[in-house]
Amino acid sequence: MKVAKFYKDAASFTCISNPSLSFPVSRLNDDYCDCPDGSDEPGTSACAHLSPLSPHTPADGAGAAGSNTTLALPGFYCKNKGHIPTYVPFTSVNDGICDYEVCCDGSEEWEGVGGVKCEDRCQSIGKEWRKQDEARQKSLGNAGKKRKELVAEAGRLRKQVEDRIQSLGTEMEGSEIKVKQLEQEVAEVERKEKGKVVRGNVPKKAGKLGVLVGLAKQRTEELRETLERVRGERDSSTSRLQELEGILSTFKEEYNPNFNDEGVKRAVRAWEDYAARDKGPEPEAAHDRDLDAITGSDKDNGLDWEEYEGDDESESETDKVYAFESYLPPSLRGWVDQKLRDLRVTLVDSGILADTTAGSSSGGESKAVTDAKNRLTAAEKEVEKHRKSLNEHQDDLAKDFGPDDVFRALKDQCVSTDAGEYTYEVCFLSKTTQKPKKGGGHTNMGNFVRLERIVVDDELPPNGKGLGSGERIAMKHENGQHCWNGPNRSTMVVLACSESNEVWKIVEEEKCVYRMEVGTPAVCEVLGASAAGVEGKKAGGVRDEL
Amino acid sequence: MSVFNSLSNRWTSFLLLCLAVCSLITPAVMVKHENFKTCAQSGFCNRNRAYADNALSTSKWAAPYSLDPASVRFDKGVLTGTISKKTTTNEIVRLPLTVAFYESGTARVTLDEEKRQKGDIELRHASKAKKQRYNEAEQWAIVGGTTISTGAATSKDAEKGTTKIVYGPASKFEAVIRHVPFGVEFKRDGETQIKLNDRGLLNMEHWRPKVDKPAPEKKEGDDEKKEGEEAMAAGSDKEMAEDESTWWDESFGGNTDSKPRGPESVALDIEFPGYEHVYGVAEHAGPLSLKETRGGDGKYSEPYRLYNSDVFEYEMDSPMTLYGAIPFMQAHKKDSTVGVFWLNAAETWVDITKATTSANPLSFGIGSSVTTQTHWISEAGLLDVFIFLGPKPQDVIGAYTELTGYTQLPQQFAIAYHQCRWNYVTDEDVRDVDRKFDKYKIPYDVIWLDIEYTEGKKYFTWDPMTFPDPLGMNKQLDEHERKLVAIIDPHIKNEGNYPIVEELKSKDLAVHNKDDTIYEGWCWPGSSYWIDCFSPKGREWWKGLFRYDKFKGTMKNVFIWNDMNEPSVFNGPETTMPKDNLHHDHWEHRDLHNINGMTLVNATYDALLARDKVEDKHHVRPFVLTRSFYSGSQRLGAMWTGDNQAAWPHLEASIPMLLSMGVSGFPFAGADVGGFFGNPSKELLTRWYQAGAFYPFFRGHAHIDTRRREPYLAGEPYTEIITQALRLRYALLPAWYTAFHEASVSGAPIIRPNYYVHPGDEKGFGIDDQFYLGSYGLLAKPVTKEGQEGQDIYLADKEKYYDYFDFWTYEGPGTVNVAAPLDTIPFLMQGGHIIPRRDRPRRSSGLMRYDPFTLVVVLGNSGDAEGTLYLDDGESFDFQDGGYLHRRFSYASSTSTLMSEDLAASTGKKTKEYLKQMEKVRVEKVIIVGAPAAWKGKGEVELSEEQGGKSSAARKVALDWHDKEEGKAAWAVVRDPGVQIGSGWKIAFP
Repeated sequence: MKVAKFYKDAASFTCISNPSLSFPVSRLNDDYCDCPDGSDEPGTSACAHLSPLSPHTPADGAGAAGSNTTLALPGFYCKNKGHIPTYVPFTSVNDGICDYEVCCDGSEEWEGVGGVKCEDRCQSIGKEWRKQDEARQKSLGNAGKKRKELVAEAGRLRKQVEDRIQSLGTEMEGSEIKVKQLEQEVAEVERKEKGKVVRGNVPKKAGKLGVLVGLAKQRTEELRETLERVRGERDSSTSRLQELEGILSTFKEEYNPNFNDEGVKRAVRAWEDYAARDKGPEPEAAHDRDLDAITGSDKDNGLDWEEYEGDDESESETDKVYAFESYLPPSLRGWVDQKLRDLRVTLVDSGILADTTAGSSSGGESKAVTDAKNRLTAAEKEVEKHRKSLNEHQDDLAKDFGPDDVFRALKDQCVSTDAGEYTYEVCFLSKTTQKPKKGGGHTNMGNFVRLERIVVDDELPPNGKGLGSGERIAMKHENGQHCWNGPNRSTMVVLACSESNEVWKIVEEEKCVYRMEVGTPAVCEVLGASAAGVEGKKAGGVRDEL
Repeated sequence: MSVFNSLSNRWTSFLLLCLAVCSLITPAVMVKHENFKTCAQSGFCNRNRAYADNALSTSKWAAPYSLDPASVRFDKGVLTGTISKKTTTNEIVRLPLTVAFYESGTARVTLDEEKRQKGDIELRHASKAKKQRYNEAEQWAIVGGTTISTGAATSKDAEKGTTKIVYGPASKFEAVIRHVPFGVEFKRDGETQIKLNDRGLLNMEHWRPKVDKPAPEKKEGDDEKKEGEEAMAAGSDKEMAEDESTWWDESFGGNTDSKPRGPESVALDIEFPGYEHVYGVAEHAGPLSLKETRGGDGKYSEPYRLYNSDVFEYEMDSPMTLYGAIPFMQAHKKDSTVGVFWLNAAETWVDITKATTSANPLSFGIGSSVTTQTHWISEAGLLDVFIFLGPKPQDVIGAYTELTGYTQLPQQFAIAYHQCRWNYVTDEDVRDVDRKFDKYKIPYDVIWLDIEYTEGKKYFTWDPMTFPDPLGMNKQLDEHERKLVAIIDPHIKNEGNYPIVEELKSKDLAVHNKDDTIYEGWCWPGSSYWIDCFSPKGREWWKGLFRYDKFKGTMKNVFIWNDMNEPSVFNGPETTMPKDNLHHDHWEHRDLHNINGMTLVNATYDALLARDKVEDKHHVRPFVLTRSFYSGSQRLGAMWTGDNQAAWPHLEASIPMLLSMGVSGFPFAGADVGGFFGNPSKELLTRWYQAGAFYPFFRGHAHIDTRRREPYLAGEPYTEIITQALRLRYALLPAWYTAFHEASVSGAPIIRPNYYVHPGDEKGFGIDDQFYLGSYGLLAKPVTKEGQEGQDIYLADKEKYYDYFDFWTYEGPGTVNVAAPLDTIPFLMQGGHIIPRRDRPRRSSGLMRYDPFTLVVVLGNSGDAEGTLYLDDGESFDFQDGGYLHRRFSYASSTSTLMSEDLAASTGKKTKEYLKQMEKVRVEKVIIVGAPAAWKGKGEVELSEEQGGKSSAARKVALDWHDKEEGKAAWAVVRDPGVQIGSGWKIAFP
C-alpha cells in the first residue's frame, strides 16, 4: 500500500477513500477526525472510533458512513529506526502508555499525555530482537534438518510398507492358487464320497462310543452345575450392583450441592462419569432364557442319554441295506450295488435325493472330505489373513500422515509437560492424556481422529516457541473420557515448528475441551514457508512511510 | 401435578421416568425450597401472623399496649415515655419509648423492654448470651443525620388522649401519638401519611421464665388435633391461648436452635393510607413494586423475608430471602413519597396487603383509593423505626442515605467493565485473557480470581502450582492500568501449618458456638472457622492481613471480593450459622445476622485503606464487592445479585432487582452478565452485555462448569455487537461517573425507575423494565426476551425523545415502538439534557484520562438543555481536597448560547494541581441533536473562553448543520471548539 503520496500536497488534503472530501492541510493530524475513513489523522487517535466495534451515531465525524466504516490506514506508523517499522493501533496512540512491544521508538506517545515520555529503545530492542532472531533462525535451520531426517525416516517407513504390500501381494496370489486347488480337491473327494451309500467310517464299536457318551454325560453335568453356580453368583452381584447404583443415584439427587464437600463432589462426579459410560450390553432376557434352557435337564433339550446308552442292538438303515444285498448272488450283488450307486449319484446331483454327505454334522462326514475341507479352510484363512494385512498396509499407505508423510516417523511417539498438578502427554497420531502428579488414574483427553489445518493468530514470543500466525497443522482428538457435567474430553493439538518435539502450552478452553500447543520439527518446512512470510512481513513488508 | 391428572397412569409414569432421567443428565436447576423456612416454619413469624389474624378477625380487638400520659416527657426534640403492655396473664410489662425528631425531618420511634434492658432476666442452659435486646445495629448502619431537631415542639392543640409534636422543614410535619392503645400517625401538611399500630399488631414478646408444665395429660394419637382445637376454641373466646411450641427451642432441617432468652420477637403494623405502591425491602427477585403477601391471584402467600442466605439457584418472582437485607420501604402515590426504615438486624418478615377504600358516599368528588398495609416482624432486638415524610422520592432516599451513608465514590475502573470467571486457572491464563482483550480491541478494566487461585482454599495464599508468579501477572495488568480482584471469604480453613488459622485461633477472633467455644462449620475449604468482624480486635487483625508484605503477591492494583459473607455455612441451618452462636460481646448470632456480611466488608474496606500510607500520592479508594449486605453497605463498595442463571428470565429479573437496589440507597449494584449457572446462547449473551452495559456494576461472570464465554470467543457478529455495547459503556463513563458522584453526595439512584423520575405519572409507578441513567434523560430498555426485535418504550412526559444511535425522533407521552434487532439497544435521549462523552476507544478506562470530550446537547420542546460533569483523577482521595472539576453545561434557546459554569462547591489544596493536569483536556466536539433550522447555512459559531479569570478574545469555529430526514432529527456539530473541559467558556450559536 502506497499511501505516502496522499500526504504530499502542501495546500490541501483529500481523504483517501473519499476523494470528494478535501480539507486544508492544517486539518491534517490536528487531532480532529474529518475524513470518514480517518485518513486525515494518521498520527493521532482522533479517528480511532471509526470501527465496526464502536457504537455509532450520525454525528461521528464520519458523515453517514456509520459502522460500515473502515479505516484507510492500518494504524499509526512507527518508524522504529534500528528495528522493524510497524503499525500501532490508533486506539493506543497518545494514551500515556509506551507500547514498546510494537513501537520501540516510543513515537506513538508524541503528545506526552500525563507527562509520559517514551524514549527510543529501538537500539536495544532491535539488538535483542536480532539476537533472538538469529537464535530462532538457527533453531529453524536445525529444525529444518531434523525434519529432513524425519521425512527420510518416514520415507523408509513408507518404503517398508510398500515392500510389504508387494510381498503380501505375491504371497496372496500363491495362497489363492492353493485355495483353488484345494477347492477342486474337495469337490473331487466329495463327488467320490457321494457315491457311497454307506460311509466306511461309521463307528462300529458301540463300546467305545458308550464310554464317550458316559464321559460326555458326566462332563455335561459338571458344566451345568458350574454354570448354575456362576449364574447364581452373577445374579447376586448384579443385584448388589443395582442396589449400589440405586444408593448412588439417590445420593446424587439428594446431596446438597451447596454443601460443597470436595469428597462428595468427587464422588458425585465419579458416579456421573460411571453412569454416563457405556455399560456394555444390557443383560438380555434372551440370554437368560438360553441359560434357563441350557441348565434345564438334557431330556428337555431333546438329548436323551438313554437313547445312546445301551441301545446298540437296533439296526441302522445301512445295516438293512447290507442285509438286503446279502440275499442276492455275489455277481448280481455287484451289479445292483453299482447301479444303486449310480442312481443315487444321479438323484443327488439332480436334487431329488438329499445329499447325506453334505451338511455341518462333521461327525457324519467322511474323513476324506473333512480333511480336504480343513485344508481348504486353512488356505482360505491364510488368504484372508493376507488380504487383511494387505488392506491394512494399503490403508496405512493411503492415510494422511501430513505433508511428505512426515508424521509416519512420529507415530506413537510421546511428549509431555507439567502444568499445575498434572502432567499432560500427547502421543502423535494416537491420543492425549492427563496424568495427576500426585498419582491416581490417567485421564484420556481424546483419541486421534485426523489431521486438520487451522488458522491461528498469536504473537510469536521472542524465543519463537509459539504458534505465530497463519495456517497450522493440528491433530484433532475426540472421544476421550466423559466429563462430569460436560462432554467427552477432546483436545486440539496445534503444531508449530520447533527444533524438538515439545509441549509449549496446555489450556482448557472450555470445560473438558483442551488445546495444546506443541512444537515439532515435523511441521517445519510447511511452516517454513509461512513463517518466512511472517518474518518477511516484519522485516520488509512495511515499506510505506508517511 | 395437575398437568398429569388428565393423562393415563402409564403416560404419567413414563413422563416421570423421563423427568427422572432428565434430572440425571442436567443438574436440576431449582432452588431447594426445603432448605429454607416458610413463615409457618419460623416460630416467631408464625406467632405474629397468628396474632395478626386474631387481631384482625375481631372488631373488638384492643391492642394491649398503652402509653402512660404521665410518663411522657418532651425535651429538646426527643419525646420519652413508658408503654405498658398488659399480658394475657394480666401482668404489666414496662417498655421504654423514645421518639426522636431529627433536623433532617426524619422521626425515629424506639421501643425497648425494661427488664431485658436492665439485665433483670435469667437465661436458660447457663447461656452466656447477652441479656439485652440488640441495640448496636445503629453503630453499624447509622453514620449521620441524627442531629436532633431544634424546631420540633409539642403542640397545644392535641386532641384528648394524644400528644402532638410539630416538626420538620417549615414545621409541616406532625406526629400524633395516641396513648391508648399506643399508636402514632405521621402527617405532612395536615394529611396522614403513615400510621403505626393502627391495626393493633404491635407486639413485643416480653421476657418470661420457662414454666415447665407437667407432662401433657392428653392421650397419645390425638394430641395434635386436640391442641389445635383448643387453640381455636380459645381463640374464639377472644383470650387466645398463645402458641408456646416455638418459645424455647425450635428445630429445622436437623438443627435445633436453643433460644436461651425465650420468645423475644418484635412486630408492628405500618400503614400508608392512600398509597398504592410500595418499593424496597431489598433483596428479592421480584417486581420493583412490591406484591401483596397474604395470598390471592398473582399474589404471594409468604411474607417478604429478610434473612441473608446463600440461596442456591434462586427462583424468579419470589418473596424468598436472598443474600442481603435492606429493611427500608418507600410508599408512593401521585406526587408524594414517604418511607420507613426498620432498623433491626435479626431475621425479619414483612407482610404486605392492600385495601381499597371505596369512595365515601358522604364526600363528593373523592374516588376510591388504595391503602397499603404492612406488618413488620423481627425475631429479636429493639423496635426501632425511622419515618420519612418526603414528599419527593429523592427526599425520602436522601434522608435514608443521610442516615445510613452515601454510596462510596468508586474508583473509575470499578464502574468500567469487569471480566470474571470461576476460575481463571493459572496466572498464565489471566495474562492470556488480558492479551486477548487487547488483541480484539475490547476494553476492560478488571480481571477477577475466584476461589481456585488459593492453595487449597486457604485465603491469603496462592496455589504455587497454578499461580507461581502473581506479581508478574499483576504487573502485566498494571501496564494498561488494569486491576485484579481476588476473592477473600470469611471462612478460614481449619488446617495445620496455616498461619492465618493459627492466629485466628490463638487470638480467639472467631465466632463462637452457643457454648462459647470456637464454632466450627463447613464451607469451601471443608472444616472452617469464621472471623468475627463484630470484634474490634478481629477487625484490627483482619486489617493487617492485607498488607502487601502479608498477602504476598498483591500490589496496588489488587482489590478484594468478599463472598459467602451471609455467612454461608454449608452444614448450618438454612446454609448459615446457628442463631445461638455467639459473637463479640456475647451477642447472639440471631441478634445481628443481617449485619454480619457488612461487618466483613467494613473490615476489608479498612484493610485496603490501611495497606497504603495516607500521605502516599497514590492512596487510592478501596474497592470491595460483597454478596451480603445491610443498610449502610453502600458506603463500602458494590454488590451483585449473586448466583443467577444463564436464562432469559434471569436477565429480565436483573433490571427490577437493580432498580430496587437503586431506590434502596445501594445503587452500586450489578448482576452476573451472561448468567452464572449454565451456558447462555450467543443471543442471550449478546443481549446480556447490552443490558449489562447499563448495570452500575458491570461484570461478566460464569460458573466453573460452564464453557468459556469471554466476549472475543462469541464469534461474529456477536463479538462485534458485544464490543459495541462495551465501548458504549466506556464512551459514557463521564456520565456514569457523574451519576456516581451524585449518588455519593445525595444517595440518588444511578439507574432510576420511572416513578423516581416522573413522580406524578401514575401510569408509570409499576414500570420496572426501563430506566433512566443518572440525571441525563438517557432512557434505556434493554431487550430481555429471546428473538425480540422491537421494544415498546413508555414515555412519561410531553417531551421529545431521540434514538441515541440514529436520532429518530419520538414524542411523549405514550408508548412508542423502537426497532431492536440484535445489534441495537433500545436507548433514547430525552430532550433538555447535555451528555458528556469520551468517544475514543481505549484499552482501559485509565487510559482515557486525558482524552478529549464530546458534549451531546439534546434539545427538546423548550429548546433549553443542561447537564453536569464531575471529574477527578478517578482513583485517589484528592477530590476531598478539591482535586476535581465539576461543571454545569447549559444551553439557553433564548440566547442561543451554550456555556460551561463551575459547580465546584469549594476549592481545596489539590484544586489547582488537578485543574493544571486537566488543562490540555479539551472539548473536541459539540453535537446538537434537534438543532434549530435557523442554523442552516450558518457555518460558524463564536466562542470565548475564560483564561486566568478573564475572557479571551472571541474566536470562530466551524458549525456543520444537517437537516432532518425521514423521522430523524436535524443535528449540528461544532467542530473542535478546543475549549478546556475544566474552565468556563461560552459558545454563541447563530
